Amino acid sequence: MQTRLLLTLFLIILISISTAHSQDVREFRIDTVSGVFEPTPVGVDQMKYIGNRYITSEDSTFMEYVTLIVQRDLDFYADFELIPLDTFYLRTYEISDLSFFGWQRLGAKYLLRLEAEFPGKNLRAYWRLYHAPTQREISSGKIEYNSGYWREIGHDIANEVVHTLTGEQGIFRTKVAYIKKIGQAKEVFVSDYDGNHERQITETGTINLSPIFAPNEEVIYFTSYLDGDPQLYRVVVETSEVSKVGSFKGIVAAPAISPDGDKIACVLSKDGNSEIYVLDLEGNIIKRLTRNGSIDSAPSWSPDGQSIAFSSSRTGVPQIYTMDADGLNVKRLTYQGSYNDSPIWSERGDRVTFVSRTRRGRFDLASIRTDGTDYRILTEVGMNENPHFAPDGKHIIFASSRLSEGDIYTMDLSGRNQRRLTRSGNCSNPSWGPIR
Amino acid sequence: MTKRLIFLLAVGALLMTVLGGCPGSPPPVLKETQFETVHFDLDKFNLRGDAKAALDHNYELLKDFPDVICKIEGHCDERGTIEYNLSLGEKRARAAMDYLIGLGIDASRISIISYGKERPVDPGHNDAAWDKNRRDEFKIISQ
Repeated sequence: MQTRLLLTLFLIILISISTAHSQDVREFRIDTVSGVFEPTPVGVDQMKYIGNRYITSEDSTFMEYVTLIVQRDLDFYADFELIPLDTFYLRTYEISDLSFFGWQRLGAKYLLRLEAEFPGKNLRAYWRLYHAPTQREISSGKIEYNSGYWREIGHDIANEVVHTLTGEQGIFRTKVAYIKKIGQAKEVFVSDYDGNHERQITETGTINLSPIFAPNEEVIYFTSYLDGDPQLYRVVVETSEVSKVGSFKGIVAAPAISPDGDKIACVLSKDGNSEIYVLDLEGNIIKRLTRNGSIDSAPSWSPDGQSIAFSSSRTGVPQIYTMDADGLNVKRLTYQGSYNDSPIWSERGDRVTFVSRTRRGRFDLASIRTDGTDYRILTEVGMNENPHFAPDGKHIIFASSRLSEGDIYTMDLSGRNQRRLTRSGNCSNPSWGPIR
Repeated sequence: MTKRLIFLLAVGALLMTVLGGCPGSPPPVLKETQFETVHFDLDKFNLRGDAKAALDHNYELLKDFPDVICKIEGHCDERGTIEYNLSLGEKRARAAMDYLIGLGIDASRISIISYGKERPVDPGHNDAAWDKNRRDEFKIISQ
């Protein structure tokens, strides 16, 4: 018996040594769309109290909540996969105090341990990230807010973990904007990236469409029927103060803010037909980009601001095109299907995601490389619309009527991990805010 | 059907005049419901035969009521994207406006607006609903 234990220990030590120094923390920079994708398994331990007084049941609930937020965030993130404890056979004492060996047995590559103290009305959270096979601590930190901000504490810890392991900025404190139908009106709403803290921003009582955050997250540009014709407006998120941006005959639609935050590409029909223009932030025309008798719509900037993807029905039905930001060098990108629209240029620049009419007239989200190759369908159920990238370029928000009269969903770039953000129905037109 | 109704109304009005009833009655008023709705094919804004017939009817009304100023609302069915349908709805409204101007209605009497797919008349998700929702509606601004 003892020899067997010794042998097992010896083997484990051997394996640990062989892997210990070959691990580069940033080894898994994964293109989630192309090639084999294997998310990295991460374990998150329940948050534990490390102080020396009795804690209230409320405090203990806060600790559970923080753990849950961190777990949900990391599980959502394209590169990771949370190890779910409930699907494994574990003895009770193992779950409450899972050892490194326990986590290794479950296949954890990384392990996050959380501890808490409650100074005054605050929750002070300590996090430690370990490389599970070697038990080596990679990074650690401390985050402290009023206990009521347990969501923010959880999101901040998850952001730290993402930053440590990928070198990129996490999206867990970002906001999203969307449209919700209230009676006959459609109003702009904002919530956290996971659907919490929903807040109504406009109360115009009219139809409002296509909300999009300015790069500072303080202002949202959108199309509104406030003065009759659909025109461009902006609203200050904090104060709900609405003001008109420019004024044109006909429609002003589909605003897209340039990556430098200085310009708005949008659709104007003042010439008698929908054409793509670039405006400054006050609504003055900088340049007209398209000249075509058909509908040109849905501009989306490339991350370097040098190109614009758009849809055009110049062949009879809308297809995706790209052009230089001055309107020259127009190239057709999609030849698949009878209807492709709402292109969004990936934050990484290599792909364009869009709405594609697929089998049996369904509308799905699809993705294609900017050289026109590797067309992929990302959704397989319901009507799906209005994709918009998260600022990390790895996640997409969209609207779908798969289970309701329209709700907002998020997923990662490959179509995995689809989550429903809203449950009220009557939601549409989402966009993802910037990382502050 | 509507033409017959108008005919009957006209006969009624004539009789009332002849019989000397209501000598101070107000001048006839055009009702929005007298306009015919114009329908379109999926993803299209060209005027079908039935669309032209509906517009011919509406032309007669606009000719008979020269003080009427109207707005044509272009609408789409729920398929396709919000932004594209906004442009498509405007194309549909413009097609009707251009047709009426071509027949001789003064351009100053007609304006257009697109509601895209935001205001369906039928909330259903089937061909029958979609057929109804791809339309131009006539609204009276003043008369």
